[in-house]
Amino acid sequence: MDYKDYIKWDRMPTTWCPGCAIGTIFKQTAFALAELGLPNEEMTVVSGIGCSGRAAGYFNVDSVHSTHGRALPVAEGIKRANPGLKVVVFSGDGDLVGIGGNHLLHSARRDVDLAVICVNNATYGMTGGQMAPTTPIGMKTLTSPHGSAYAPINIQGIVTSNRRHWFARASAFHIAHLQKVVREAIEWPGFAFIEVMGFCIENCGRRLGFKSGHEMLVKLRTDYKPKAGPEGPLGEFELGVDKNDGQVR
Amino acid sequence: MGNEAVACGALKAGMTFFAAYPITPASEIMHELAEHEPEIAFIHAEDEIASIHMAIGASLAGRKAMTSTSGPGMSLKQEGIGLAHMMEVPLVVVNVQRVGPSTGMPTLPAQGDILQAAHGSHGDYVPLVLYPSSVEECYRVTIEAFNAAEDSRSPVILLLDGYLAHLQETIDLDAISVAVRPRSLAPLGQGRRHFTGLLAKDGIPKTKDTAYYREWYARVKAKMLEAAAHYRFFDYHKNPASRTLVIAYGITCRVISPLRDSYSLFNPVRMFPVLEDEIRSAADEHDQVVVVEMNDGQYRGEVQKVLKREVRGISILGGTISLKEIREQLRGL
Repeated sequence: MDYKDYIKWDRMPTTWCPGCAIGTIFKQTAFALAELGLPNEEMTVVSGIGCSGRAAGYFNVDSVHSTHGRALPVAEGIKRANPGLKVVVFSGDGDLVGIGGNHLLHSARRDVDLAVICVNNATYGMTGGQMAPTTPIGMKTLTSPHGSAYAPINIQGIVTSNRRHWFARASAFHIAHLQKVVREAIEWPGFAFIEVMGFCIENCGRRLGFKSGHEMLVKLRTDYKPKAGPEGPLGEFELGVDKNDGQVR
Repeated sequence: MGNEAVACGALKAGMTFFAAYPITPASEIMHELAEHEPEIAFIHAEDEIASIHMAIGASLAGRKAMTSTSGPGMSLKQEGIGLAHMMEVPLVVVNVQRVGPSTGMPTLPAQGDILQAAHGSHGDYVPLVLYPSSVEECYRVTIEAFNAAEDSRSPVILLLDGYLAHLQETIDLDAISVAVRPRSLAPLGQGRRHFTGLLAKDGIPKTKDTAYYREWYARVKAKMLEAAAHYRFFDYHKNPASRTLVIAYGITCRVISPLRDSYSLFNPVRMFPVLEDEIRSAADEHDQVVVVEMNDGQYRGEVQKVLKREVRGISILGGTISLKEIREQLRGL
């Protein structure tokens, strides 16, 4: 299979702004699907609301664009109804971790066989650039004009609080690694969650002084490094996989 | 028990997916269906929002699906009801009513969610709402709710009240025969369809196209009305000696059934779309129309809108219903 088989070309161009990170993450996901050779009829993509949520409509499969925060319950209903279908969730941090946070706790706990690709751009991009649960402390947004007063949420901590877990952090700059973890997440029999560090130039970055999407991409390269040493919990700026098959040893 | 009859009816209709969150007085539906795992997929979800969205996902994936709740949960499910209308997903949503607003009086019955059942979610849509009034009807109407969901490809609301839900009656399920409709929606996995809560044409968002919205709305409205036409369920007992027509539904209709010796009684089982022709022709035969209901006149307003003349009302509030009081109030009108 070719990655082009997984994209609805008649839907191009996408709704995403020039310089946005989501397009890269979308394309790497298509590459991973091609690598796995998944037939289009044997999978579905589910999303919630937001810029990343629009991705579902661009994959050349039967797809569902649900309401804000509800991608996980819709996906779980699909998976339980038809366990033979590969179910990929592609959505943003505000959707999956903010408004959908309760569902994240419980879908992860129930270890539903889903591959979740969460684009973390640290903001609510589609609505103009408000504070997200992932917004770093001190960062200025439309709803935190004096800088966010709160520490960002620890997604890794939530997902890995279950004995059996699969969590990865990737970035829109480190694309080979991103493609590899998307593939692994789809193959993992259980709840697999990837936090993909992205960025939003138009409704977040410019306010912070970035001149282009490229500058934000370069910052990802500077800030994030693959985890060195043995497998295990990832440091704040480390990329890699933290997994546990749940067996007591 | 009414709740058990709903569970049995759902299984008879071919429901194989159920997700819900416990709530008084609807929980027995969950308890009954939990026993049927693994023949059906059953999820005790983290909340009511999750459970309706799981049911939507399951329906898209090819299964007849249901969720059940009471008022507080019904408020949360409105988001999913709107989504199912927009994506045209068959689904049955059961609301066993209790006294509200908010947590209200959890163990006492009410009929206060009538207008919410019709227009609880935002935006325009044509609601399909059914409300049985006996345990046997709970069974029968649940099957019909699944049929109506398939015919209309929409979320059908099945109303009960806490009284009817816990009413114990002996019924012979084998003696009840209702034809079961097959699935109307091809399951996920066809290749390239896109289901979205946005206004969309063939899966492509049309979020700024007013002309298309109007065309789309006319189509779904016609679709809903056409499907609803097959479900004109009501019960009309004409008393030639009475100049008053009493309209009541659910447990209220059941409680006042002895009044048929003195009054004409009309029981709409299809609450929405309102049975305009049937109510109009019954009302034409009477000087006075009275709606008796366990709320502050919600359905009375709907009937008045149809008849375009004054409709009297008897409101039974606070969860306790008395035939004696209703009889006295009717005499006083």
